[in-house]
Amino acid sequence: MFFDVVLKLSLGIFLLGTFLQVRRWFRVRIGPDAAAFSGWQRVGAALRGMVPVVFGRRVFSLLRALIFDVLLQTRTLRRDVRRWIAHILVFYGFLLLLVMHALDRTVTASLFPGYEPTLNPFLWLRNLFGFMVLVGVGLAAYRRIRLGRPALFTRPSDRTALVLLAVIVLSGFLLEAAKIVSWPVFHEMADEYAPMADEEEVRSLQAYWAAHFGVVFPDPEAFSADAEKTLEQGGEVHESSCASCHDRPVSAFLSFPLSRLLAPVAPFLNRARADRWLLFVHYLSCLIALALLPFTKFFHLAATPVGLLSRAALNPVTVLPANRVTRRALALDACTHCGDCTLHCSVAPVYRRIPNPDILPSEKLYSIREMVRGGSLAPGSMRALAEGGSICTRCYRCTTICPSGIYLQDLWIASSAGLALKGFPEPRVRVKQASTAEWAERIRYHTDAFPVHRNPSLPPRALSDRSETFEACIQCQTCTNMCPVVAWSPDPPGDVAITPQQIMNLLRIGLKELTLGSPMVWDCVTCYLCQEHCPEGIPVTDILYELRNLAYEKFRDLPEEDPDGTENPLLPGRPGSAKGAVV
Amino acid sequence: MKTTTDPKEYPLVIVGTGLAGMAAALFAANRGIAAAQVGGAGGILFASGFMDLMGVHPVERGRRLEDPWAGIDEVRRDIPEHPLARMENGDIRQALEEVLVFLEAGGLPYVRFQEKNAEVITPLGTVKPTYAVPRSMEAGVVALREGRPCLLVDFLGLKEFNARLIASALEDRWPGLRWARISFPGSERMSRVFTRHMAKALELREPQEQLAEKVRPLVRDAEAVGMPAVFGIGRAHEIVSRFQQAVGVPVFEIPTLPASVPGFRLRVTFSSHLQGRGIRPFYQTKVLQVREEGDGFLLSIGGAGVERLVRARGILLATGRFFSQGLMADRKGIREPLFDLPVRQPASRTLWHSRDLMDRRGHPVNRAGLEVDDRFRPLDRAGKPAFRRLFAAGSILAHQDWIRMKCGSGLAIATAYAAVKAFSEEAGS
Repeated sequence: MFFDVVLKLSLGIFLLGTFLQVRRWFRVRIGPDAAAFSGWQRVGAALRGMVPVVFGRRVFSLLRALIFDVLLQTRTLRRDVRRWIAHILVFYGFLLLLVMHALDRTVTASLFPGYEPTLNPFLWLRNLFGFMVLVGVGLAAYRRIRLGRPALFTRPSDRTALVLLAVIVLSGFLLEAAKIVSWPVFHEMADEYAPMADEEEVRSLQAYWAAHFGVVFPDPEAFSADAEKTLEQGGEVHESSCASCHDRPVSAFLSFPLSRLLAPVAPFLNRARADRWLLFVHYLSCLIALALLPFTKFFHLAATPVGLLSRAALNPVTVLPANRVTRRALALDACTHCGDCTLHCSVAPVYRRIPNPDILPSEKLYSIREMVRGGSLAPGSMRALAEGGSICTRCYRCTTICPSGIYLQDLWIASSAGLALKGFPEPRVRVKQASTAEWAERIRYHTDAFPVHRNPSLPPRALSDRSETFEACIQCQTCTNMCPVVAWSPDPPGDVAITPQQIMNLLRIGLKELTLGSPMVWDCVTCYLCQEHCPEGIPVTDILYELRNLAYEKFRDLPEEDPDGTENPLLPGRPGSAKGAVV
Repeated sequence: MKTTTDPKEYPLVIVGTGLAGMAAALFAANRGIAAAQVGGAGGILFASGFMDLMGVHPVERGRRLEDPWAGIDEVRRDIPEHPLARMENGDIRQALEEVLVFLEAGGLPYVRFQEKNAEVITPLGTVKPTYAVPRSMEAGVVALREGRPCLLVDFLGLKEFNARLIASALEDRWPGLRWARISFPGSERMSRVFTRHMAKALELREPQEQLAEKVRPLVRDAEAVGMPAVFGIGRAHEIVSRFQQAVGVPVFEIPTLPASVPGFRLRVTFSSHLQGRGIRPFYQTKVLQVREEGDGFLLSIGGAGVERLVRARGILLATGRFFSQGLMADRKGIREPLFDLPVRQPASRTLWHSRDLMDRRGHPVNRAGLEVDDRFRPLDRAGKPAFRRLFAAGSILAHQDWIRMKCGSGLAIATAYAAVKAFSEEAGS
């Protein structure tokens, strides 16, 4: 009765939670373009996106994604075999337990009419599946402990998920072991299925079960007299009354050894009816997991396959803008926080110098989630998130490796653009409030207004200070010709859009400061085309990147006022004011 | 610096990524030699796209040659040490043929003019003789030869090409030449435009059509239109031919100042098609050191913080001259930095240059370089081959003034051919 109520309650919470979470996929807004669509428009766009897929040739790529990406999880396999093994063990172990064991009355019993949980192969299989989950959870926990920060952050949600799985499976094994040793359970069963008048028969069956089924009776010495004959008789009773439902528990290859371990304390356990308590724990932990599923990391069970399938189904170029927005919201649930993106992130090493977790993609995603779900973030967190976003070079590595197939790149661009509208990161927004020419002019006459600090994060002799790094430049313009930022730049007439080769020239004539306010330095996407093609082998990209670090620091620490109380001449206005932000 | 050793021994390591190095890699690949190629990203990038064979001889008279083959015969008589003079015309022809066939297969077809030189327009409005031109420039040769009414078009914000400059330089010779300046589609608001970006844009249909729209009304009486070489990186001749259909008259490209799009085209064509033919590229690296080891060489090559040791049976030096540091000049003289080979040069620095900057004979330093034997092996101080399997090709060789003689491409390609041939004979023996 109690369990029935709890089951219905958890099922209700599960359904409601799922509904609310799925609704969020269509309501959460990330990026400036998201404001253009209402929730219903996004639902409509999702449906419209689905129709040509289901009825078109793309249905095959959908099938392929279902088999390889979802069922076989090849995206994980390609990255890390050990993690794939762990995940497959947990995923299939649990799935099979759910189908064969938790839903045995509806599924297993109808497929196999003679089904009894205590018969083989089910007895053995249950142990196998449970063992799979345990090994998988163990491997996952080991990975999290071994890698540790900063390579892999473990959040409470990761811990909750692993602990919950471990509690479910371990309580299951303990429950089975406790039932094996339990004489009260034996008597309940015997009374129900083999009512015996004869005291001797009862004793012989007890002797038989004590010897072959591991039941621990309160007075074991009672069977010792004439053991062989008693056992034989017990065997006969067993065959006629019990054997059709009970195989020997030896095949429960984990629970049975566990029951042997428990044997010394079995009299106590049996008196306390530990089996009932364990059953309670086992059931309750399962129902808690069910109720929590939509609100925890477990929800990736729904979101990740949807994400992977939509990735296969939607053409990345022609995808409807509204679906792009929906996909971002979905991504927040599809992330399993496996940490692969951070392990492969090009700028992850920056975290060692600037301990801002939002530099790391796996953590940035969570901050974005917090921001969009909570409506907003505290300015400090917003600043951190924007800084993390601006340190990202959009190199695309995270996007190509994400096992959940999330378009992380799009998420970073959209969230950074959204933050820029709010005035973050301040140095960048500040820089964009004046043109290169204006900055050059200001910096030239007010160099003193810049904060003076040596950048501790750079080696003592930085690239941009060493003439050997750029003196070979022959101004052939190959870097500029290769540069996608120059190709894209709107370059209004009158503005001095400094190109990479002009930056090399400014360095040569000792006017490094004049480069710091240029879009070239701030917008460089570090694609390395200039550096790869430089006929003189000049590390153009490395220099630009170094200048950006320097510029970021200078503009971040720009004092609002000069020591004499006048406004800093380098400050063109407060972030987010008049001219606003352009990204 | 991290050091790794390449366990593989290469039969031949080609040092240099200019036209000589690229051609040598092609000849090696065509002969089944699994060579490695080492060098920076530059080199061939500075090519104009014209293939000069022998354009001017003797330079002091500035005589333009109509027939390059007859010209080489004359050079053979007058300057017997000239690298091309060491070769048979048949081998030179074979070398050029192999390169032009390769380029055509790679999507960069060339046109020759019945084995005669053709006159072409340079980005500065001068005219020079050349042996072969990319097909996208062919109509320019015809237009210049016939002197028909012609329109030159350039772009606002493009510094490397000035139609007005060219038109005024050719005014006397070509009265029917007009010029016009337009903005490049999509770049109307830009104060500066760049050739490669325009070339990438023109690989798409829409900008092609928009550009044709802008050019068509300017054509009027013109029977040909000349434009800067920006018609795509790949398959330029196809883009040009589609474009001229839209404009209605023949259209031709004129190279811009280096590094120009024709240079990018050559580099892309060579580098992308050589790899498929078994050449192991070590681009963006340079040879840091080399020493003899056993029967061959051990090279230390470096780039991006990694040093790699590579073994080679033979080496082909195509490192070029001063610009690419194949030769280095200091207060005392000119040296070859890799092997410290003796460099043929004027006795003292004061003799490097003539007193007259514009001296038509050129300057003695222009003819400095490596002395080689008939197998293109650099000589040591005793006049003997410095190493059995060290070869040299291209502009690093002495006794030539490729800029004034207009023989740069021919020199690079033909000597690379001879050097690879000599290597394979040496390796076979």
